[in-house]
Amino acid sequence: MSEQTPGNHNQNGEGAGAGTMKPGFHNTDGQGIAGHGSFFQATDLSKEDAIKATDWVRKHVDRRTVDLGDRMDDVREHMYELEKDGQIIIHRIEDQHEPISVNTLFGWEKKVPTKQLWHHKSCGQCGNIPGYPTSLLWFMNKFGFEPGKDYLDETDQTSCTAWNYHGSGIGNVESLAAVFLRNFHQSYVSGKQHGHELGHFFPLVHCGTSFGNYKEIRKYLVESAELREKVTKILGKLGRLVDGKLVIPEEIIHYSEWVHVMRNRIASELQTIDVSNIRTTSHVACHYYKMVHEDAVYDPSVLGGNRTAIITSTAQALGAQVIDYSTWYDCCGFGFRHIISEREFTRSFTMDRKIRVAREEANADVMLANDTGCVTTMDKNQWIGKAHNQNFQIPIMAEVQFAALACGADPFKIVQLQWHASPCEDLVEKMGISWDEAKKTFQEYLKEVEAGNIEYLYNPELAYGGKV
Amino acid sequence: MQQIFDDIRGDFRYDHELNGCLNCGICTATCPSAQFYDYSPREIVQLLWTENVEQIYDAMQEKIWACAQCMTCAARCPFKNSPGGLVAIMREVAIKHEMQSAKDVLRPFGRVMLKLITTGNQLSPDMIQPDHFPDWGPNIQKVEGDLRILRKAIPVKTLQTVETAWEVSLKTSVEMYTIWEMTGVLKSLELMDENLFDVIEDFIDEKREDYEDWLEEQEEEDDE
Ligand code: SF4
Ligand code: SF4
Repeated sequence: MSEQTPGNHNQNGEGAGAGTMKPGFHNTDGQGIAGHGSFFQATDLSKEDAIKATDWVRKHVDRRTVDLGDRMDDVREHMYELEKDGQIIIHRIEDQHEPISVNTLFGWEKKVPTKQLWHHKSCGQCGNIPGYPTSLLWFMNKFGFEPGKDYLDETDQTSCTAWNYHGSGIGNVESLAAVFLRNFHQSYVSGKQHGHELGHFFPLVHCGTSFGNYKEIRKYLVESAELREKVTKILGKLGRLVDGKLVIPEEIIHYSEWVHVMRNRIASELQTIDVSNIRTTSHVACHYYKMVHEDAVYDPSVLGGNRTAIITSTAQALGAQVIDYSTWYDCCGFGFRHIISEREFTRSFTMDRKIRVAREEANADVMLANDTGCVTTMDKNQWIGKAHNQNFQIPIMAEVQFAALACGADPFKIVQLQWHASPCEDLVEKMGISWDEAKKTFQEYLKEVEAGNIEYLYNPELAYGGKV
Repeated sequence: MQQIFDDIRGDFRYDHELNGCLNCGICTATCPSAQFYDYSPREIVQLLWTENVEQIYDAMQEKIWACAQCMTCAARCPFKNSPGGLVAIMREVAIKHEMQSAKDVLRPFGRVMLKLITTGNQLSPDMIQPDHFPDWGPNIQKVEGDLRILRKAIPVKTLQTVETAWEVSLKTSVEMYTIWEMTGVLKSLELMDENLFDVIEDFIDEKREDYEDWLEEQEEEDDE
C-alpha cells in the first residue's frame, strides 16, 4: 500500500468522517493538481443523493452542534497524567477562583475562573483599542473586586508573539512555547509579592490570537516530550521552573469567556441603559473558535448552539437585538501580515465580506467583536471605502465595551471610544447618551491630565509589584 | 528541493495537520485568501499529499504568503486537515532555506518585526498614526490632542505608554531576548535581513547593559 499512499499518511483513513476517500486512492500522476485533473471523476449522483451529501456537509461542517462525538482526546487528561508522573505542575483553577462551568464544542466542561485573575494583555489591543482592557477592569471594580487581590495588572509580561509568527513565519514552536511558559509562570508566582500563595492569580488572556496560540502550543507541549525537554532548558535558564518543572495552566481562558459567564450578573446588577432598540451583529475572532475549536464555548440557548456562544450571549443578556448575517463565518481580513503590508486585501475583504453584509443584511447598529485584530481591521478600514463608492459604515467595538456603555460607563474616560475610527457617535446617541457632552467633559479632563491629576482604576504602583 | 520537502514533512506538526484529503474543496470555498489571490488551500494540501516536490517548491516561492492564517480551513475540513497549519510549517521552512519569497515578503514587515523582537509588543500607539496608515483616514482618533496626554488619560497605568502597547519591565524584555537566542529566532532573522538583525542586536545589547546597571544599583541600594 505504501507506494499508493505517498508519505504513508493515514493509510487506513483513520479519523476521517463519512465520505472518506478510499485509502490510497488519490492523484499520483502529478497532473491537474490545481484544478480538476484527469483523475477527477464526476460523481453522477442522483438528485436525492446529492441532497443527502449536501445535508451531510451542512450537518457536519456548516453547523456545529455541542456534541460532535468523541473525535479528539481531551488534552487535560494527558496533563493530569504528566502531573502524576511528576513532569509538570498544573496551575489549577480552585474554589478560591470562584469558577463557573460552561460547555465547549465537544461537550467538555470548562471551568471559567471569575476572580483572582492575572490580566494577560494584548499587544494590539492596548496600543489601539485600550477601551477593551479598561472596560474589563472597570467591570471588575464594579463587582467590588479588590485590585492586587482579586485581579492583577502588571508590567511583567510579554505578548504571546504569535501575531508575528503568523504574519512572518519568524519564530517557531519552541519560541512560542517558551514565551507561553514564561508568561504563565509569572502568572503562577505573581501573587507572592502581594502576600498570596503560589497560583493565587489565574491568567486571563485578553487576545484571541494569544488564546488560540497558547492552546495549540499547550497541546504540542503535552504531546511532545522532546519539546518539553527543550523548553525546560530555556525556562531553567530564565529561573522560571517550579521544583524543576514546567507550570502549565489547567485551562486557557479568554476574557470573553469571563464576560460570558458574568453576563447575567452584568445585566441584572449593573445595567442602567435599555438597549432593546439596538441591533447587534457579532464577529467572533477566528483564533477564538477555529483554532483548537473543541475548546471554544458553545451553548444550545445561543443561536441553537450553531455558533460559539461568546459575544452573542452577552448581547442577548443585555436585551439587545441579535441579528445573524450570512458571512458570520468569514474572518475579518486581518491576516497578521496583510494588515500591514497587503492592505488592499485586508480592506477589500473587510468591506465586501463583513461591513457591507452586516449593513445590508442586518442593518446593524453595531458590530461586536472579541479580539484586537478584528476590531482594528474592521474599525480602521471603513474610511477608504468611500474611494470605491463603498459608503457603508458600522461602529465596531469589543462586546465588553458595549456592555460597559450599557452599564453607564463613560464613553471616553472608560470605554475609550476616542480611539475608534468607525462612527460610534450615532450608536452612543441611540443608547441615550450624549456624545457631545461626554466629549466636552473628556476635553476638560485632558486639561487635568496635563496638570498631572490622573484618575486610575487601581493603584498604579501595583503594576510594578508595589503594595496596594 | 527534496530537502525542502523533507524539512516540511519532518516537522512534528505535519502529521497533525495532514490526514488525507477528499479534494472536496471546502477549505478553498471558505478561504478568504482564495477569493483575492491565485491561492487555494486545497491545492496546498494536494501538493503535499501527493508529494509533488517541484510544485511544492513553486508554491513556496509565492503562494503560501497569501494565506491569512485565519484557520477557517482547519475548522471546516471534514478530514481534520489544517491547510493553514501546513502553510505555517512551509513558511518556517522557506525562511530556513533563505528563499527569496520570504525575504521579499518580510521586507515591508521590518518595522513591525523590530518592534516585536525588541519590545515584545507589535503595534504601538506611535505607529498608529495617519502618516503610517494614510488609508485609515485623517481622523483615526476622535479627539484632537497630544498622543502622550491622550495615553495618560487611559485609567490603567500599564497602558500609559506611547512606544509600546503596554509598559514592559526591563527584566521581562531581557528574558525574552534569551528566548529569541536560544530558540534560533535571531538566527532566522539574520538569514532574512542582515541589516535589521544588526539594528536589533545593538538594541538588545543596550537593553541588556541597562538591565545589568539596574541590577547593580539594586544591590547597592540593598547594601545601604
Ligand atoms: S488559514 Fe490560510 S488557507 Fe486556511 S482559510 Fe485562512 S487564509 Fe485560507
Ligand atoms: S477541506 Fe480538507 S479534505 Fe477538503 S479539500 Fe480541503 S483539505 Fe482536502
